[in-house]
Amino acid sequence: MLHMQFIIGLISIGFFIVTFEFIRKRYLREEYAILWLLTSLAIAVLSLWPGLIDIISRITGFYYITAILIVIFVFLIAILMHYSIVISRIKDMNKELVQRYALLEYKIKELEEKKNLK
Amino acid sequence: MCSRRRIAVVIPAFNEEKSIGEVVHSIRGLGEGFDAIVINDNSTDRTTEVALKAGAVVIELPCNLGIGGAVQTGYKFARDRGYDACIQVDGDGQHPADQIPRLIAPLFEDGYDMVIGSRFVTDSDYEISFMRLVGIKVLSFFLKITTGMDVKDTTSGFRAINRKVLELFANEYPQDYPEPESLVFAHKKGLRVKEIPTRMASRMYGKSSITPILSAYYMIKVMLAMFIDLFKK
Repeated sequence: MLHMQFIIGLISIGFFIVTFEFIRKRYLREEYAILWLLTSLAIAVLSLWPGLIDIISRITGFYYITAILIVIFVFLIAILMHYSIVISRIKDMNKELVQRYALLEYKIKELEEKKNLK
Repeated sequence: MCSRRRIAVVIPAFNEEKSIGEVVHSIRGLGEGFDAIVINDNSTDRTTEVALKAGAVVIELPCNLGIGGAVQTGYKFARDRGYDACIQVDGDGQHPADQIPRLIAPLFEDGYDMVIGSRFVTDSDYEISFMRLVGIKVLSFFLKITTGMDVKDTTSGFRAINRKVLELFANEYPQDYPEPESLVFAHKKGLRVKEIPTRMASRMYGKSSITPILSAYYMIKVMLAMFIDLFKK
């Protein structure tokens, strides 16, 4: 049991460091990184306080490992859904920008041609 | 038709250097009031040069947006420049320019909002694959039961719209499967849509983006998108 606790603790620390590095190197924006920081924190809490699992299972009625897997699965699905929404929004903004850019570029060329004719 | 009217002929083009010159040229042949507006969807070939040489307005997208985004760029341009109507024509030469006035006429003469050029007509030399035909029939049936609209050629990109629809589409235009999806959109906005048989040519070059193997998958995706469109805000 102690062995497992130690491994989970290491995972949480590693997870935290990686997330922190990604923010520092600006691969990740803070608003999206908070989720991952909280996740690593949650893992850390579980490794330091294994009794918490018992308490959670008593409150929620999830006693079996499969039930816990379902919770994790739902959590991951929620994250993926969130990213799909973000990507859709960014794609839409990108489309608007590309169109506006192209129309403005045409306008500039047109103005330059007019200027050259004078 | 009134000679004062200005019609924007929007041509989305992706790597069409072989056919675009001829398409633009034939549109210029229609005379005053018809402007060829080529939207180059980030082609890697000489589409822009060829179209410019033929006398088109060329708008170049810095990224590839796909047909929906490209056509909408043309609609935005036409909206901003005060065109009275707009017609979308493929850059591959399958939509003959001499059919354009036929598609435009019902907008002004009979008050239609949208006119679709349909390829289902006897004197058409347009060759169509069996799978594609089945797909189009299924989509047409689907459109009929969901909206009550009677459109045979739901995937035809040869379509004319008036100023009202031009403004609607400039603001909001489906990006994934624009041809069938915009029909659902038209239904929801209560637009008057007319479909007329049109002579179409076989593609001069290139192949349809819809392959037979993928067409079943394509159809399911399109129907799903159309179904969801019915409930969109």
